[in-house]
Parts: sequence; C-alpha cells; structure tokens
Amino acid sequence: MSGLLIERPLPHGGRLVERVIEDKAVARKIWKSCNAVYEIKPTLHYETGVPVRNVYREIMSICYGFFSPVEGSMKQAEVERVLKERRLLNEWIFPYPLIFDISKDDLNKLGVEPGDRLGLTLKGKPFAILDIEEIYEIDPEELAYKTFGDPETNPEVVQQKFDKKHPGWVIYRSHQPWVLAGKYTIINPPKFKPPFDRFWFPPRKAREEFEKRGWRTVINHQTRNVPHVGHEFLMKCAAFTGDVEPCHGILVNAVIGVKRRGDYPDEAIVEAHEAVNKYGYIKPERHLVSIVLWDMRYGNPLESLLHGIIRQNMGCTHHMFGRDHAAVGEYYDKFATQILWTKGIPSFGFPAPPTDVPYGLKIRPQNMREFSYCPTCKEMAYSETCGHKREKLSGSFLRGMVAEGVQPPSIIMRPEVYKVVVKWWKQFGYPFCNEKYVINKEKELEVDLEDL
Amino acid sequence: MAYFMVVLLDDNRMAKLRGTGLEEHIKYMFGGELRLLEVEVNEELKDKILAEFETARVDSRGAITDVPVAFMRELFNQVVEKKSLGPEVVEGVLAKIAEIKEMAAKESEYLPPPEIQE
Repeated sequence: MSGLLIERPLPHGGRLVERVIEDKAVARKIWKSCNAVYEIKPTLHYETGVPVRNVYREIMSICYGFFSPVEGSMKQAEVERVLKERRLLNEWIFPYPLIFDISKDDLNKLGVEPGDRLGLTLKGKPFAILDIEEIYEIDPEELAYKTFGDPETNPEVVQQKFDKKHPGWVIYRSHQPWVLAGKYTIINPPKFKPPFDRFWFPPRKAREEFEKRGWRTVINHQTRNVPHVGHEFLMKCAAFTGDVEPCHGILVNAVIGVKRRGDYPDEAIVEAHEAVNKYGYIKPERHLVSIVLWDMRYGNPLESLLHGIIRQNMGCTHHMFGRDHAAVGEYYDKFATQILWTKGIPSFGFPAPPTDVPYGLKIRPQNMREFSYCPTCKEMAYSETCGHKREKLSGSFLRGMVAEGVQPPSIIMRPEVYKVVVKWWKQFGYPFCNEKYVINKEKELEVDLEDL
Repeated sequence: MAYFMVVLLDDNRMAKLRGTGLEEHIKYMFGGELRLLEVEVNEELKDKILAEFETARVDSRGAITDVPVAFMRELFNQVVEKKSLGPEVVEGVLAKIAEIKEMAAKESEYLPPPEIQE
C-alpha cells in the first residue's frame, strides 16, 4: 500500500532557496556595507516606453524560493547553458535566463566591480542587496530570440519566428545591455497590499499550510484569468487524479505581474478564484488561492517548465496543463506543453519528459483538454468523454459579454465571480487591463516597504 | 468557412426586437440561459473588420469577437433598423466606422460598469 502513496516532493535542486533577512538590526548592518545604491526601475518597452517587467518580482520569487535552486542574477556561462540546454551550471533544469540588467550610463554612474555589494532600493526604500560576482554585456535582441527558440532550431514545437507581437520576446528585447550577476538577498521584506496580502504563500509557508491541512497530494491550477465554470470543472475533475484517492488539495497559483491588454486585473483574478471556494463551488477545505510574482513570458512549453518548478517548490505533487498553456498567438504548437511533458522536446534539451531526465522535476503532469457546456447532458462536459455537440466556452466570447455589460449565465460564470469582476471594474473604470491600469500598477506595485 | 457575429439579448434588447420578425431566429445557449442572434458576415466584411480593429479576432467557431463595445452596440441598432441578420447589417455598421472608432478610443480608457444587485 505504501508504495502506491505519492509523497510531497523535495524542492527542485534538493533544498529550498531562502534569502530573506527578517532581523532589522542585521539588515541595517548589511545595508551599511553596500558599495553603491541603485533604485530598481521598471523595464520599459523598447519602442513604446510602456512598462513590461519589473525585476523586483524576479528578486522576490528567487529569494523566497519559488525559483529554487536559482539564487540570483545568472552569470554569462549560466545564461549560455540555459539557452542551449535549459540547465543551470549545477545541472538542474531551468527554462529562462534571469538577469539583473542595467544601462551603460547607470553602470558608469555606479562604478561597481565584481566583489562589490550593491544595495537595491524599491519605491525609494532599501529592499535587497546584490553581491556582484561578474559584469558582462548582452545583446538584448539576440537574447530575446534565443530564449524562445525558432522554427529552424526547434522544429518540433516552434511554428513561427518570434517578433514584437510576442510579449515575452518584448520583455527580453527591452532588457538593458549590461548585466550584474550574483546572489540576491532581501533585507527589507516588502508588505503586500490588500487583496494580495492574504494570498501570499511563499514555498515554505505553502508547504506548512499543506501540512496543516493534511494535504499530502496537491494539484496546481495555473491561472492568469478570472475563472469561468469551465475552469472550475477543470479543477474539480483534474483533482480526481492523485494516488489511492483524489488529490487532497487544489492550489490555485495566480501569476501576478504585467498583463496583456484585455486580461483581467490581478485584483479581480485572485478574488474571483477565492469566490469559487468562499461560495462553496469547491470546498475551501480543498481549495487554496495563492500568488507568485512574475511578468509572464508566455513561452508555452518553457513557461510550463517554470510553472512545474514553482509549484514543486511550493510542495505540489501534480500540475494541470491545458491546451495552449501560457501561450499567446501561434508561435508554438497548441500542444507544445503536453508534448514536453509526455515525450520531451530534444531541441530544447529534453530527449525525455522533464520528469524523466537527470536533475529533472518530480511534480507529475496532468494534461487536460477542455470543458464546455453540453445541451444534451445539460451539464459541463469533458471534450474527450462527451459524445454530443457542445457549446464552447471561448474566453473572448465571455470577455465580449462582460464588456457589453451583460451578466453571463451562471452556468458559465458564477454570479459571485461576476460580482468580483464588477467590483474591480468600478474601482478601475474598466473591466480589463488597459494601458492606464498597467502604468498605474507598475508605479504603485502590489507591495509597500517600511523604513529599514 | 462561414463567419458570424453574436448579438446578445437581454430583456431591454428583447423589447426593442419585438415586431421586427426576428424573434423566431433567436438562438438559445447554455441550457436556454443565454439568448442571442447570429449576424451573417461574408469573407470581404470579415477582412474589413479585422483590418479596421486590431483587437478583432475570429474564434474557433468562426465568430468574430473582440471588437469595440461601440461596434457591438451599433450592430444591435442596425439589426433592429434593418430588421435583418444578413450582411447588410455589418455593412450598416461599417458605414459608421469613423463614429465607432471615436467612441472606441474613449472606451479604451473607460467603460461604464453595470449596475448589479449586491
């Protein structure tokens, strides 16, 4: 019997990275030892100047262990290895380069060298330090292309050359050309503003929460969307996987960061998912909403790999992946993520699935298709089991309905979820992310910092 | 592929439709909880819509979606005015393209939220 039970996996890399100093006296001492201080700036779109990323989110996710075993801004050799084999220098698999980039002017002004300690401020307050080990130059355009692959090098899944219509490509293309590599340490942990504060479960806290709730098996639902009933059924049914019994818990982990126009605001996303358990559509004892800070790169199979790493680090045993996972446009095959997790993608360094390669992942994929309404069964039905003609739940159809001010029927969006959408619509004057929302959000961020 | 645009019907719109002869074309989705009409769009009109509105897209059902709300409101007005679901409805909308674009520009900043029961 015991051989059938799935245990909570160790963090990726074997141990959780935790680089956060809570003791203010220690933090002040460290802060005084900095050779220079730099105010973190948002990364601006290389053409339009609109914010597309803030490196503070990467520092948070690294230091709280979401990206374990990564500990800082990558060195040049590590970036090259990640781009070539999707592996860190310590062999563990990892999909994306993560770097602290600055302009030539800023580099000259700082006058820092390897061996120096750089103090990083956020919203004018001390936030973190970067112990510089290496300084090197990159070509942002080359980095952008190499990060996502191309049809010649990665013919298994890449269908189209990446360009400025792809928001992830734009993030890397908009990086500054100089990189300060080294480990980060947060010395003044930011405080999340409502509603985000109640959804902050960094890996150690998430693992403790699972233990407290008696959740040995947990399936993760990745989201950047307000849930419609199709999502709800996806969660409920995917949770039937597990081992000798269905998964004990469903973790909703919402990616908080710069969003595309037309996505719902982050505030609405987290509270709408919370409404699913608050109003009993899934029991709160089985469902937990949480967040991770990350400006999505929309790299479909590569993004799914990062999602697997984050959720394994949080203590999940399973991860659901759908069609077009974390995708935008038709750059990748619609099933690229499912191909990665069932067969592997050799050109990306995976001759086998990421769970079957050395230094790979332990989290188990649950590849899912879609749920839609069946008028014959008179219920939400799974595409691979229902034999009737069904009515598809298209996200854009639903967005159109919301924008026109028409309340979606409860069979496709729960009324409590819709109320959350309208609540934040009233707050922002708009139901979705628009340029005004993105600019304000990136100015205010989802956190505040106290004095050190 | 046949293209179409969906006109959603709430009680207010249902009242305006009365007497147009279009009631018999009303379709029901999601167990009868959603009422709608489908307006026919030919290839040429589909291309025009996609060219005029960069957010517009065709979904897997052949439905043209993600056009400005001002477009959708005018689409309903034209359905009532022309008492039809044929391509002349979209032609009527596109005849007012400048006006719609002006309203759409304001829409990207602000959309009035609906009043719903708390």
